[in-house]
Amino acid sequence: MPAALNPSLLVAEDVHRHFEGMHAVDGVSIEVPTGKITGLIGPNGAGKSTFLAVLAGTLPASEGTIVYDGQDITRMPAYARARRGLVRTFQLPSEFARLTVLENLLVAAPKNRGDSLWGALRGKGYWMVDEQPLIDQARGLLKRFGMTAKESDYAGTMSGGQKRLIEIMRALMLKPRVLLLDEPMSGVHPSIVEEIHHYLQELRREGLTILMVEHELHLVERLCDSVVVMAQGKVIGSGTMATLRQQKEIVDAYLVG
Amino acid sequence: MNSYYAATLAVYAAVDIIACIALNLQFGVSGIVNFSFIVFQSIGAYTAAVLSMPPDTANGAYQVYIGGFQLPFPIPWIGGAIAGGLLAIPVGLVVLRKLRSDYQAISLLVLSVIANSVIMNARTFLNGAAGIAQVPGPFSDQVDPLSQTYQLLYVGLTIPCVLLVWLVASRIVNSPFGRSLRAMREHEVAATAIGKNPVQLKMTIFIVGGVIAGLSGAILVGYIAVWAPSEWLYPETIILFAAVIVGGRGNNVGAMLGALLVPVGFFEVTRLIPATIGGWVPPPNLIPAMEWVAIGLLIIGFLWFRPEGVRPEPRRVFGGAPVPEDLVSAGSS
Repeated sequence: MPAALNPSLLVAEDVHRHFEGMHAVDGVSIEVPTGKITGLIGPNGAGKSTFLAVLAGTLPASEGTIVYDGQDITRMPAYARARRGLVRTFQLPSEFARLTVLENLLVAAPKNRGDSLWGALRGKGYWMVDEQPLIDQARGLLKRFGMTAKESDYAGTMSGGQKRLIEIMRALMLKPRVLLLDEPMSGVHPSIVEEIHHYLQELRREGLTILMVEHELHLVERLCDSVVVMAQGKVIGSGTMATLRQQKEIVDAYLVG
Repeated sequence: MNSYYAATLAVYAAVDIIACIALNLQFGVSGIVNFSFIVFQSIGAYTAAVLSMPPDTANGAYQVYIGGFQLPFPIPWIGGAIAGGLLAIPVGLVVLRKLRSDYQAISLLVLSVIANSVIMNARTFLNGAAGIAQVPGPFSDQVDPLSQTYQLLYVGLTIPCVLLVWLVASRIVNSPFGRSLRAMREHEVAATAIGKNPVQLKMTIFIVGGVIAGLSGAILVGYIAVWAPSEWLYPETIILFAAVIVGGRGNNVGAMLGALLVPVGFFEVTRLIPATIGGWVPPPNLIPAMEWVAIGLLIIGFLWFRPEGVRPEPRRVFGGAPVPEDLVSAGSS
């Protein structure tokens, strides 16, 4: 995909999100570069996760416009954005606890003709044609992240790091075009962090656009093409980590310590 | 036990199994706490009744009701099922779209109380508190309803309904659609984030449950021939919840076991309690009251000690899966 020639897939213009007078997101405008990995950093309470939730539609925007793939999606419900390929993950574990690990992945697959009442009533013979390739796809992801042995375990019994992986794999089952990751590496074993790292780079090569909230700055530095810094609900700077380190107010706000 | 009693027990068991399967689809599989379930059974019963009965001017006009179409079987049963589904549409649209699940439960409970008192007090619709009587069962004009043959006939009409409902419910539960419902039950926000429309999922299963509940009411009213507000007070829903919780939420086998253990089981067990205990005659309402205590204790006991029920929701292992370690150890314990 000639990513550089495309206009940005995801654009936010003057997005606000208020909670009873508290301005969690206070006029954020960004263009997420297509086919790149963009980091979203900032101190706790800066509004990063809220902004991500507004982009994904989990929370409605109080004001402003969100344009995805040339279409104004500001009022579009979250499930419809996900179906169009704008997919998020969560900061807190959000696995389907009493579904198995494999089922957690399968359930996210967007095209399965057994996934409607009428399809279900027609029976297994009707929908297994769609189901089997999805099982293979999901097992491929599980193998890649070293969780093959866990496929039949309930997701609720997994460790924090494994739940994080389940969430990333689940999002990938949707074949997203834009991935919004909320601290994907937190609580994950360093070797798995490497695995996620490599996989995100591979996804980038395939043209996926990624916006990720991350606190580990060395990870951001290694992985992200550019970085957006937020503090107190506003964007206070953007660019590469190297250029940001030279801006005093950004260093003061966040980069120190 | 004579054959009349056996037939009665069989029909009640079938009605309770059908109802519990419907409630399990809504509550056990999809997480919708439908505290107005009995209203859906009831609208099925009333609809089947007024479709099969003669106009209310018959029999000296001692009761009043709308309808009275004298339609032959199976129209009243089909009508009852459709009525249950139709009622689910406005109720679902009001309750399931915006409210959080705990408020959904409260709203549905209140709806159950309101519906009951409206029907009880507005006599022109369905004869008010006295209810409607002399509802003709299927083929009762051709076979004497008091004969043994009729009892067998009724059981024979009921069993295919149980099998059909069972087939529909297991196809739903074991399909990718059922998996989406379970995902919504587990974490609605995350299900939304992977492209599931929770309102659509809830409405669909609410209507399916309403249809099945309506059918269960239609079957019941054809057999007992009467239907009145006292038959469908809101605590009746609680008995069915107890059944689904005891049997095992999220699977049809559990729902069926619960139906046999709780409503049918209680009916049977209380029959065995002697009228006098060592010369002491208990007060007349003691046993019905103790039943409610027992239902409450059952719910609390199971939620505390065995929340997954007698028959837990099965874990779905797919063909070609590596054998998980904890399954191996669980098998040996």
